[in-house]
Amino acid sequence: MRPELERLRGIEHYLLGAPDAPPPAAALAADTEAQRRAYGALHLAGQRQLRRELAAIHETLYGPRAGRWAWTAAAAGLRLVFARWGRRA
Amino acid sequence: MLLTEVLPVAPTAAPGLRAALLADRTRTLTDLYRRTFPAVRRHVLRRGGTDQDAQDVFQDALVVFYEKAAAGALALTAAPGTYLVAVSRNLWLRELDRRARHPRTGLAAVEEGPTEAAEPAAEEPTEPFSVLAYVEQLNEKCRSILLAYYYFRQPLAQIAAAHGYGSVRSATVQKFKCLERLRNAVRAAFPHALPC
Repeated sequence: MRPELERLRGIEHYLLGAPDAPPPAAALAADTEAQRRAYGALHLAGQRQLRRELAAIHETLYGPRAGRWAWTAAAAGLRLVFARWGRRA
Repeated sequence: MLLTEVLPVAPTAAPGLRAALLADRTRTLTDLYRRTFPAVRRHVLRRGGTDQDAQDVFQDALVVFYEKAAAGALALTAAPGTYLVAVSRNLWLRELDRRARHPRTGLAAVEEGPTEAAEPAAEEPTEPFSVLAYVEQLNEKCRSILLAYYYFRQPLAQIAAAHGYGSVRSATVQKFKCLERLRNAVRAAFPHALPC
């Protein structure tokens, strides 16, 4: 990796890795602070995405389409039963 | 009423659950949702809440649950569903308490300024949301890689496979390039807020 990315990795180790790790010597304080803020923003963005995914799961399980699917499945099941019953008769 | 009375027994242990969440989040969360939400909904409705309240509280509990499980910090002494119902009940209790203390804060009250609940300095709560905009501005690939690694805590091998990288090393380099892009955007946006 190029040196800038290695520095980024060093700061990451300091911020997210070992809690007692010293700050990387070559790192600017502004870079470290900006990187810390970037992690905070990623955490918020991740939470938002997870909430969107959970809302979608809720919609799939309990939304109107889920109800429609249940009726369609029930109707398909009934058709199958009647078809079998018809063949037996 | 005991929690075990309202939920079917779920056999999943915490390490297995973590692996399942990382490998197929949607499927695992859907399964948990299907098994657990009805009990949370019943609880919230019986205690004066609405369907929407139940949904909000349960999804908050699932976020806490996911973060702890993904970080390997979830020590389950009961079934995951039981844990989720307990967290949801606590969250709903807290929300009821909050509503009792601040019944429907009107717009006028908000405009008057902060109430007795001490708010942090004005700059603090808004700043992360401003930085959030920079995450949204990243291209889809970068955003996906960074969130998969830093929030959803997926292993780099899985991220590499999902994004079509030939090796973990390539995915690692790409991850740092994306992080650099985000960090530079943050630095440019907040030049005065950061130390020199």
